[in-house]
Amino acid sequence: MEILSIGIDVGTTTTQLVISRLVIENKASAFTVPRIHIVSKEILYRSKVYFTPFLNEVDIDEDGVFAIIQAEYAAAGVTPDEISTGAAIITGEAARKQNAERILNRLSSFAGQFVVSTAGPDLESIIAGKGSGAAAWSKEHRCVSVNADIGGGTTNIAVYENGEVASCTCLDIGGRQVRVDAGIISYISPSARRISDAVGLGLETGQQADPSKLSILTDRMAELIFLQIFDPDSDPLLQAVKTKNAGSLQRASRDTAVFFSGGVAACIFGNSDDDFPYGDIGVLLGRSIRRCSWFSSSKVEHSAEMIRATVVGAGVHLVSISGSTITYTPELLPLKNVPVLKLSDEEVRRWRSGDDAYVADRLLWFSGTTDDRILALGWNGWRSPRFAEILEMADHVVNVYSRPGLEQIPVILIIEEDMAKSLGQSIRRKMPDRQLICIDSIGIREGDYVDLGSPIMNGVAIPVVVKTLVVG
Amino acid sequence: MRLKTKLAGEIHRFRDLKDVMNKANEEKSGDVLAGIAAESQLQRIAAKEVLSNVLLSDLYNHPAVPYEEDEVTRLNIDGLNMTIYEKIKNWSVAELREWILSYETSEEDIKRISRGLTAEMVAAVAKIMSNLDLIYACNKIRISAHCNTTIGLRGTLSTRLQPNHPTDNVEGIIASALEGLSYGVGDALIGLNPVNDTADNIARCMNALHELKEKYEIPTQTCVLGHITSQIEAVKKGAATDTIFQSIAGSQKGNEAFGFNTEIVMEAWDLMKHRGYGTGPNVMYFETGQGSELSSEANFGADQVTMEARCYGFARNFNPFMVNTVVGFIGPEYLYDSRQVIRAGLEDHFMGKLTGIPMGCDCCYTNHMMADQNDIENLTTLLSAAGCNYVIGIPASDDVMLNYQTNSYHDANAVREILGLRPIREFEIWCEKMGIMENGRLTKYAGDPTIFMGRGK
Amino acid sequence: MTMNQNQLEALIREVITEVLGSPAKNDSAVPAGDVWKTGPGSTDGAREERDDIPDDQLVDITSPEVRQRILIANPMDVEMMDRMRQMTNARIGAGRSGPRLNTVTMLTLRANHATARDSVFSEVDPALLEEMNLFSVQTRCTDKNNYLTRPDLGRRLNEEGRRIIDQKCKKHVQAQIYVSDGLSSKAVEANVRDILPAIMNGLESFGISTGTPFFVKFGRVGVMDEISEIVDAEVTCVLLGERPGLSTAESMSAYLVYRATIGNPESVRTVVSNIHRDGINSVEAGAYVAEIIRIMLEKKASGVDLSL
Repeated sequence: MEILSIGIDVGTTTTQLVISRLVIENKASAFTVPRIHIVSKEILYRSKVYFTPFLNEVDIDEDGVFAIIQAEYAAAGVTPDEISTGAAIITGEAARKQNAERILNRLSSFAGQFVVSTAGPDLESIIAGKGSGAAAWSKEHRCVSVNADIGGGTTNIAVYENGEVASCTCLDIGGRQVRVDAGIISYISPSARRISDAVGLGLETGQQADPSKLSILTDRMAELIFLQIFDPDSDPLLQAVKTKNAGSLQRASRDTAVFFSGGVAACIFGNSDDDFPYGDIGVLLGRSIRRCSWFSSSKVEHSAEMIRATVVGAGVHLVSISGSTITYTPELLPLKNVPVLKLSDEEVRRWRSGDDAYVADRLLWFSGTTDDRILALGWNGWRSPRFAEILEMADHVVNVYSRPGLEQIPVILIIEEDMAKSLGQSIRRKMPDRQLICIDSIGIREGDYVDLGSPIMNGVAIPVVVKTLVVG
Repeated sequence: MRLKTKLAGEIHRFRDLKDVMNKANEEKSGDVLAGIAAESQLQRIAAKEVLSNVLLSDLYNHPAVPYEEDEVTRLNIDGLNMTIYEKIKNWSVAELREWILSYETSEEDIKRISRGLTAEMVAAVAKIMSNLDLIYACNKIRISAHCNTTIGLRGTLSTRLQPNHPTDNVEGIIASALEGLSYGVGDALIGLNPVNDTADNIARCMNALHELKEKYEIPTQTCVLGHITSQIEAVKKGAATDTIFQSIAGSQKGNEAFGFNTEIVMEAWDLMKHRGYGTGPNVMYFETGQGSELSSEANFGADQVTMEARCYGFARNFNPFMVNTVVGFIGPEYLYDSRQVIRAGLEDHFMGKLTGIPMGCDCCYTNHMMADQNDIENLTTLLSAAGCNYVIGIPASDDVMLNYQTNSYHDANAVREILGLRPIREFEIWCEKMGIMENGRLTKYAGDPTIFMGRGK
Repeated sequence: MTMNQNQLEALIREVITEVLGSPAKNDSAVPAGDVWKTGPGSTDGAREERDDIPDDQLVDITSPEVRQRILIANPMDVEMMDRMRQMTNARIGAGRSGPRLNTVTMLTLRANHATARDSVFSEVDPALLEEMNLFSVQTRCTDKNNYLTRPDLGRRLNEEGRRIIDQKCKKHVQAQIYVSDGLSSKAVEANVRDILPAIMNGLESFGISTGTPFFVKFGRVGVMDEISEIVDAEVTCVLLGERPGLSTAESMSAYLVYRATIGNPESVRTVVSNIHRDGINSVEAGAYVAEIIRIMLEKKASGVDLSL
């Protein structure tokens, strides 16, 4: 089967949309248990790149954004009801605007039935690296790669190991940190000011925009990006330009493959004679990165997407498919923004040795942190479980979910190893009327949120979006 | 027609020609299972004696399945050269045997007579030949065919590279294929048995093999051995393949059990002529194996050697590039042990060649047969001496998808050296260019699939 | 005696060197992707074969760890070779001695083949059947050889078998599950403890009535049709040992038919194959089989008539 997936990215500088086709197939022969996979991903439509409309410094122009999205749906020739999945994401500084959340909710309900909405610097870093190809590269070569997505307001950096994100961070460095209007500096961000002061440039708005002077600023910005990746402790200025609440990045070895994406990445590899074609320092920053000595001595790989990396990551690479032997109550699906309590292997050991109270307490506490009664419990599980172990596990689950405060909520279990169908059946046998979702083959981390889609392929599997909001 | 004989003082009578044919077979568990085998060793030889005196016209007049009922029979009879048949119809089977073995008879003579032989005549003469007779006769005959390169020229032994994977993972398939190529395997074909028979999956696998061939500019052919209808659909969707494959049986009913008929093969053949990537003219690939008709109750009371010969009679009409018997795949209820497998391999190869088709062999065994790797190494060596066009090559003889064992990537190299054989010339030149072969021998770089990294287009 | 990790690893390295005639270079005993030297002269100095190695420290050449080794003499790109190995379980990176296999490869293949053969020819442990509370009946085959060469006899019960099933089994059930050796007794021994209760558990969760499970010796798939007739089951399901391959002898298949009768075509059977530790694990396969039975009962069909 084929489904259409949409990605919408409302960023500090630009707003974009991509529509892609995901082909989902049963990869197993007709004579065994199905294995449902996404077998191909093809981008059908790429929108124009729009400047994100703002009403003022604190508000995004909600109607302006909508007008763009609606026009692009029309241009692509699709209607929201044809879109099965995807993600709308507000990134960079735009995510910090007052009306960001309202826009997201409106976008996601407009865009299609299972389009998730999200924001957060870590997720942004992760999906940009998926869109640029850094994540896939590290999986394919079974090694470490790093992606730096340099946009207007921020530089989102993520490190991948074997296709999985290992750590990420975010710097307030970007092409629109300084803006230029008719040859005059019209805006200097606080972060750009700190860098300018540190190198003694004394930039002020109203000054003539001197490319050679601004290049001193962008040279320093370029250096900071590389230092963040390869030598983060050597420069105290890094702390000063780090985005608030951003995670900390693990130091990469010098032979790590580096990918660049984002609007500025296009300027690294492009060739513009004009110094300020976009009314900002994006082109200067791109040139600074290219001539920086770090650049020539690093293993820079070709990115599949530059300015569109985030929107492609969101639209094409965020959806995964659950295992094909699962148990669920159909009426419960789809579900959006389900917080997951992830049990460590150690906690699972403790639980299996009989400490149901511990897990129940954890779950109760966790449910107290969310105002919704929908929450999931996740753990890794183990390979080739014995049936006796499944029965024991089912008993533990039933015990936990029979406790006061938990006896009403749906049982939603997300396990990495293949055991969800037998476990689900065992739980259902003991709690026949309880709402239940028990899926596997989905890896999650502490602090993740998941979106669970409506069943596909005759109900054999469900699409899942894992939203990692905090890495580390 | 004489249907009885006296042997060691005993009179042996047979019901009809089919009874003679059945009982003249070397012992096969499949014929025992069918309840048609000779009841004693002496009766077997008696049947051979009777058969040796049967005239070719008798065999022509008594096909194993009636002409009216069966399109395989019709294709066989209607495709004969009657001028040639008229000249030999009064030969006995014994005379045919001796004529084939005679120093006076050339390769060209045999190929010419072949046009007048029905499957039943081919089977009959095989039944009165010893193993060495079969090898000697075969060695006289070379049947070559051309798709992108020419298979079956004298002095060559080719290999089909079979890079099977338990889940059709393309990267895994390519990894296996590169290992095989690094051993100089794959000059006959790079041919995958897919797990999943959907047209989409077959198209994906076809394109992957085609890209591999293009990337390294390998002078060979590719094929994905799904069901013929799935391959047709894949090609119609634009997938790239040089050949189309189908497993065939010796009766219309057997073919129907495989889910196809002559019309579908004609469609595939036509499709390859117009949409295939192979130069041709030979673009079809068939596999056979003694016993498959009985397993689908489509043997019409005939023995498995006769039914096998009828597969070749069928295949001949489509000018295939390759035909091979998968001789040990079917299991002990048809071929019990290595003795029966080796005999069947030699018979099939002989019958295929005498029918005039480019014959190879998958020298193989399953784990519930009384055979092991030693036995199929024997068979490989014997068939190579007999001038077999090709054998199979897989990683260390273990097929992780079909769950059986056949020749390792190594084997053809050893046999080539022993018997002074080479791969197809263009392919050998390619191996030399890649640094894998020198003077027909593996170099120190051979067997390392990573030599291809960073090379190719 | 206790050993620390380093001592243990040193000892294992030594053992491997002795057994395989190959020096281990890396820190762990049999690291993935390590290239092993083979052939004469690859071990320097004096060699001694010792028989006082503790049994638990002997190296098993058929173990997955040992099989991960790359036996190519000097691969151009070790890292790439290792990656290629991860993509397939085919025995690539095998290396060679002239145009032949290395000794350890050849012996590993022979060992895997021997395991497969033994699994075909051995019988299911009666203690297991007792533990699982499965009584045993037999087809018309008299021994393994007879079973292998006469599939027709393996598709019918002997008279005693018919009688015992008729006496002991619950009749007119929605689902009749039974177990049979098929071509691998090891498959039954490896899976039945998990798959059988997992199916029963799943069926119970769906409220489906089940018959009395039992074991059929020398069983071919087709004998399920006769069994279905005797117990009058709506769905009949056999858990059967598959023909062993070299990678595993423990693979089991489930065959299911809705309202099976003697003589029904093969196309009415629904198959779930590849049930084993490294394929579909037994408990999930059992849960899946239970789900299929539920669907069959609902749609009153199986095989080609049922799309799953």
